[in-house]
Amino acid sequence: MKRRLPLMIVLVLGIFGAVAFVIPHPIVKSIDETMRNDVLRIITAFSLVLGVGSIIQHHLIKIRRKAEHWPFSYIALISLAVSAAIGLFGGIDPASPGILPTHIGGFSFHMQALYDNIMIPLASTMFALLAFFMASAAYRAFRARNLEATLLLIAAFILMLGAVPLGRMLIRPLPDFAEWILTVPNTAAKRGIMFGIGLGSIATSLKIILGIERGWLGGGG
Amino acid sequence: MGFWNKLLKIDRRWIYTIIWLVVMIPLLFPFKIKPMAMPPVTRLFNYIDTMPEDKALVISVDYTPDIQPELHPMCIALLHHAFATKRKVGLLTLQVMGLGLGEAAIRQVTEEFNAHATTHEDSIINGEDYVYWGWTTPIITILLGMGERITNVYPVDYYGHRTESLPIMKHLKNYDDIGIVVSIAGSSIPISWVNFANTQFGVPIGCGATAVSAADYYPYLNSGQFTGMMAGMKGAAEYEQLVADKFDELGIKWELRRKGTEAMSSQTAAHIAIMIFIIIGNIAYFVIRRRKK
Amino acid sequence: MSADPWTWIAAILTLAIFSFLYKENPFYRFAEHLFVGVANGYAITFYWHRVLVPSLINPVSHGQKLWLIAIAIIGALYFTRFIPKVSWLVRIPIAVVLGYFSGAYIPRAIDAQILQQLRATIVTRSMFANWQSGLWAVIIALGVIATITYFFFSAKRKGILKPVSRIGIIFIMVGFGASFGYTVMARISLLIGRLQFLLGDWLGLIH
Repeated sequence: MKRRLPLMIVLVLGIFGAVAFVIPHPIVKSIDETMRNDVLRIITAFSLVLGVGSIIQHHLIKIRRKAEHWPFSYIALISLAVSAAIGLFGGIDPASPGILPTHIGGFSFHMQALYDNIMIPLASTMFALLAFFMASAAYRAFRARNLEATLLLIAAFILMLGAVPLGRMLIRPLPDFAEWILTVPNTAAKRGIMFGIGLGSIATSLKIILGIERGWLGGGG
Repeated sequence: MGFWNKLLKIDRRWIYTIIWLVVMIPLLFPFKIKPMAMPPVTRLFNYIDTMPEDKALVISVDYTPDIQPELHPMCIALLHHAFATKRKVGLLTLQVMGLGLGEAAIRQVTEEFNAHATTHEDSIINGEDYVYWGWTTPIITILLGMGERITNVYPVDYYGHRTESLPIMKHLKNYDDIGIVVSIAGSSIPISWVNFANTQFGVPIGCGATAVSAADYYPYLNSGQFTGMMAGMKGAAEYEQLVADKFDELGIKWELRRKGTEAMSSQTAAHIAIMIFIIIGNIAYFVIRRRKK
Repeated sequence: MSADPWTWIAAILTLAIFSFLYKENPFYRFAEHLFVGVANGYAITFYWHRVLVPSLINPVSHGQKLWLIAIAIIGALYFTRFIPKVSWLVRIPIAVVLGYFSGAYIPRAIDAQILQQLRATIVTRSMFANWQSGLWAVIIALGVIATITYFFFSAKRKGILKPVSRIGIIFIMVGFGASFGYTVMARISLLIGRLQFLLGDWLGLIH
């Protein structure tokens, strides 16, 4: 029951998902539409529970065990609760606010303000750090040890120079040559790899439907 | 320890400082650059510019705040192009974290246009000239459902209005009314657009990709599954240039803020710096290796 | 310099994350945890207001589509993930989504990822409308075959397989080089974006 029921659901809905594409009969289409617009939408909406629940559980355990840097877990939990309260009760669009006021005098703290001034700077700066790490790694580890590495290095240099306006000033046809690398040899290599990935993902989907791939069931009975 | 050894073991924070300066100084003192659009960008621009007037441009804001500096200028440039040429626009996102970016983009561009508008026709009005459908889940509901009836996929728009009640939706029922969908993303979402929307419904797909994934998307350009593509901030700068030329052609006098183009001086300097880092690193490596032999 | 308090908050948070470059510190950790909390709060907001309310709460509260309550119960089984005794029930909503998606994916992926890509690889007479496009099409076709040969591990690399897979690795390395060159561009762009904010929106040094 614990394994057979989910495997049966996957088999039936997997076959239906594929059949709906090849049989455009009105009844099949109608069921398919209901499946996507109602069933999948509502079930997927509840999947947020997994993400948010895991975060809350993780930080509560850290606080209970007084793990390393545990006081910061309060920051995560409090900011989660406050921002969710602002969003749920303060509304999304400042033009049509909810029951919770989202401004004190001239200072507004509605959802889009939190997004623009907390989420965007934090997320984009975290990724901006990668520029420094990449520069350091390129200096220390990018070596023309053999023919393959040298080819990689030359292609990278042509792309880096060809991508910026200076490349055209130094060597006029360089950007066109960089574009040729992308359009011809790069396309050939990436397409070859893509065939492998494409066939692999199709095979994996088929294995899931047929119950051969069961990793998604997780552990336990 | 010899000179080359010392050079290789330099504290990483010196490298960080150099990168910081190399990016910062050209932002303060930029040199004049006019980006030249490459074929994938030109193809996308020309397609949008010449598609039938009754067809809408749909922008899928599939990027998130972490990569917005690279991709947001693309969204802005597309909106400038669409509104300058009086195209109807539909905006959506397949990522919940991208919602605020779509809202920021449409707010900025409509404010710019409306500040220069003198008549109702010149103004860009929500629900008439554009619609921001926002986000729903899962992506298969959106990609397949938009081929049937968009209002079923999005019962309410981002702002909470019932989509059935919006005038623009009378002429925007499904993919048949859409000229092209441009998916701007840092993940493989544009491929999902190809798999589900292009394959089944034949709607043309354009792509705005982070430079990290752009090289992987060339097979789709070659096969025609992507109509055109903007790659990274460079692609955004190239599209901005084409839009600026279009503004000149249409006699629109006001200046556009072009963040992608402004970045190109720093981008150039940083590329040169990293190439020099790699060359120095390699010289040091080969000198040390020869000495050891 | 900006007078907007939000711009100052954004700038301080930006600097808190950049402080990690010197070494890990409490300012960075604070900013990191703040992001986790706000991002999750943001997601909860939209899952509720833009999915559950219009698609479940509104129709059911108006007495329409009452069968959606059963679907909501299946969705609510995600909560069992945190109740060890019945945690296996979480497999049911996962199975619904995974099953449908896998089935819907297969025929479309065969068309989009395999057949259309194969069609674009096959060299046809129309590709020789000019000699350049014809030559590039031939190189792409040979490159695809060589790349696939390189990843063909079922037979020993000898005879014709050896030189072909050698050509394959050349194509792959050029492709990876192109990706690396573009990755450099991408990472630098992200840094430029933050400096545009600090120097422009915050300090007002660039306009």
